[in-house]
Amino acid sequence: MSNESEAGVEVRKCCCYFCHNNCGVLAYVKDGELLRFEGDPDHPASSGGLCCRGNLQLQHLHHPDRVNHPLKRIGPKGSGQWESISWEQAIDEIGAKLEQIRAESGAEAVATAGGTLRTDDWARRRFMNAFGSPNSFHNAHLCWIPTFMVEMTVYGWCPFEIDVGQARCIVLWGQNPGASSMPAQAGFTNLQRENGLKVIVIDPRYTESAAKADLWLPIRPGSDLALALAWINVIITEKLHNADFVKNYCEGFKELRKHVKDFTPEWAAELTWLDPEQIRAGARMYAANTPGNIQWAPAVDQQGPPAGECMHARAILRALTGNLDGPGADILTGPAQDYLTDEEMEANDLLPEEQKGKQLGADKYKLTTWPGYTLIAEQSKKFWGKAPTAEWMCEAHPPSVYRAILSGKPYQVRALLVSATNPVNSYGNSREVLAALEKVEFMTCCDYFLTPTAMLADYVLPIAGSMERPSVHTNYGVSDALVASQRAIAPLYQRKTDFDFWRLLGLRLGQAEHWPWETLEDAYFYQIANLAENFYGSESYDAFVEWPRFHYPEREFNRYLEHGFGTPSGKVELKSSILEQLGYPPLPVYVPPAESETANPELAEEFPLVLTTAGGFMPYHHSEHFNLPSVRFLAHEPYTDINPRTAGHYGIKNGDWVWIETRRGRIRQKANLTEAVMPRVVMTQRGWWFPERDMRLPELGGCLESNANVLTSTEDAHCDPLGGSWANRGLLCRIYKAE
Amino acid sequence: MPQYVMVIDRGKCVGCQSCTVACRVHNDLPVSVIYNPVVTNGVTGLFPHVHMTHVPLLCMHCRNTPCVDACPTKASQQREDGIVWVDQDMCVGCKACIMSCPYGARSSHDGVAWKCTFCKERVDAGEKPYCVNTCHQKARSFGDLDDPASEVAQLVGAKGGQWLLGELNTQPGVYYIN
Repeated sequence: MSNESEAGVEVRKCCCYFCHNNCGVLAYVKDGELLRFEGDPDHPASSGGLCCRGNLQLQHLHHPDRVNHPLKRIGPKGSGQWESISWEQAIDEIGAKLEQIRAESGAEAVATAGGTLRTDDWARRRFMNAFGSPNSFHNAHLCWIPTFMVEMTVYGWCPFEIDVGQARCIVLWGQNPGASSMPAQAGFTNLQRENGLKVIVIDPRYTESAAKADLWLPIRPGSDLALALAWINVIITEKLHNADFVKNYCEGFKELRKHVKDFTPEWAAELTWLDPEQIRAGARMYAANTPGNIQWAPAVDQQGPPAGECMHARAILRALTGNLDGPGADILTGPAQDYLTDEEMEANDLLPEEQKGKQLGADKYKLTTWPGYTLIAEQSKKFWGKAPTAEWMCEAHPPSVYRAILSGKPYQVRALLVSATNPVNSYGNSREVLAALEKVEFMTCCDYFLTPTAMLADYVLPIAGSMERPSVHTNYGVSDALVASQRAIAPLYQRKTDFDFWRLLGLRLGQAEHWPWETLEDAYFYQIANLAENFYGSESYDAFVEWPRFHYPEREFNRYLEHGFGTPSGKVELKSSILEQLGYPPLPVYVPPAESETANPELAEEFPLVLTTAGGFMPYHHSEHFNLPSVRFLAHEPYTDINPRTAGHYGIKNGDWVWIETRRGRIRQKANLTEAVMPRVVMTQRGWWFPERDMRLPELGGCLESNANVLTSTEDAHCDPLGGSWANRGLLCRIYKAE
Repeated sequence: MPQYVMVIDRGKCVGCQSCTVACRVHNDLPVSVIYNPVVTNGVTGLFPHVHMTHVPLLCMHCRNTPCVDACPTKASQQREDGIVWVDQDMCVGCKACIMSCPYGARSSHDGVAWKCTFCKERVDAGEKPYCVNTCHQKARSFGDLDDPASEVAQLVGAKGGQWLLGELNTQPGVYYIN
């Protein structure tokens, strides 16, 4: 209860940190203790809502399994034998080891793995730049980043900001906000009712959001590219495109028209398992109901080979319909002009050119590594005056790093600094990742809990959770808007933020001049100094959070009328000159999924079903929260969706344990018989490990047993040549009952 | 005297069970007690002609209260504002109320009956129940049905509102709209 008159109780404006919606939380604090909390009704995104996880701030804060002190491994790797040490000792010893490795093998022998956005990754990149290594990486390749970069090449910014309030149609392309972005789902439902917004859901599964859609297109997993190309074909053939916009502001339309001639709905029907009329209905609904939006989701990013081409085709759909930068359309905000962007905090000029050339995977996946990033960042600086974040947008290719650990090629990676990720469960081809983590010479892990990955570390650092840290939310450092949150309480025990980790390590390694901020609040205040001084008069970071807390610049529509687009030609490049310069097809070509019944008929005889391993599901996030009993009771075990007709064919009953097998290996999950998926599709849950089991080797929390990433593929032939994404969806599999 | 009711918009509910969890953790309920489960109907039909809906359940805070009538010790009570609750100090654990509730809204734990109280202490302090505030979809509304300006009165006025098992003449204080 917000009985604010209670003596000595302070209300702090915090945010949940259990996914990156960062919903607002009001925390009631007395004498440094968090008494209770609730959703913040005044938060601009979440309006007081909190999902299952968001309600567990106290359970997370005081969880008996939290890491509370720096731990140093004293037994064999994975033995669970630790010694509690001080931060001073931990940082000193880690620093000494990194210095030694740099001296012997070069800075590039040190890599760092991240997870999703729950960290201050400009600080990670700042440390790595000053240290001299180009090998930072996240699961970025599976989540938006390649989309961002492809769209940069087509229209000079990624239109991730949608003006849905004035839209007539929205395409949720593989997105299920009903389970993964719940405030957004609320908005769509209201707009459907109040404005007649048309909602199209493209998803192999009948999801929470599909259940509320005007049109649901249940496609074969991994066939999104064929659908996108066929939509382009329909829109051009039926002259549904915005002829004025295309004529005046787009380059390459004639070539595109010729290029997509054969991508008819009839051609795509076989690949997508949709009826040609369904494909036409979707294209018409989107193109006829302008202005409209296409909402990004990781579905396309996670398909491996066709991913980049599909992102390009999807970008073209926006341009053909003129759904760019106008009211009700997808908005090209450009980078923040009112405060320092993450890129400006990264100190990218500290990394020598020679070291950029050593970034792992940069020879193959050029768009999301230094070669492509350099072209795009230069173009962006010319047009917007600022560049997108390098951390996330310009990273080493994770599977290439794990393979470099295992093979020593092209050089030996000797140290891995893990922060806020559990790669065994969250990166592709888990067996390979686990082998790399077992082999790597030196590993540190910043985390809340002893995950399967942390169990293999040499040092584990205790990290402050959502109520113990401030945060600035800027959408991977590229939004023009900003939402700020404060700590409810000082970190308990010896927990610190990931910023503290990078800063302390930086100080230990002689980077003092690059780390002038003692606290994260100091660093944030530096970042928003212009907002504080020239907009709101805030005297400290905390004062800014108390008011105004967020900053949304005034929306300026249709900037292109005056300024053009931020591409080399100044127009929307349907035919992309930057992609061509990097050696990629300038127009989107058809590429089949990593494995398919049409391209690999022999494999399909052995593995006759189509697998998708992804999709967020309540109440968990990625590979987290299985250790919170207050939500685990909702979903105690991992489940795989199987159509009842398929299950009947294999003698599988609801609730049976089943093996799901691909060429990479097999996992066990329980059968959830449901008509939500088509008979040829199998959908596993991701992330699973079992914190209640023995966490030591060899069991390691059962981290391979039900882990969908055992099934996914990261071999180079299964990675998208543009952005390096690997294949999580649209793979061939078989299922059978586990005895 | 206000007449407190809840209006639940099933067209907004996505079945996420955030209300279930919020209620449990903030009311500090025992593990075996759930006040407000969300029942998902479906997926029904045959792919791709399928359907799915959700029904958030809780105590209906009936105006005709079979549970209060069944209680031999007067532990089960209804306040003048319509809120039905159990004084656990007076409860002897006979489970008569549990048997009498047509909605299955009560459970037994530690020798006494447990049920949703519309978070009455919060209501008394001018707050809304936890389940209402936590819902991202804003599927639940709470307030005074007798106040024509209240959100609940306007929703019921505009959309009617269905009672679960209305034919039993329990006259629930929970209205479902779509």
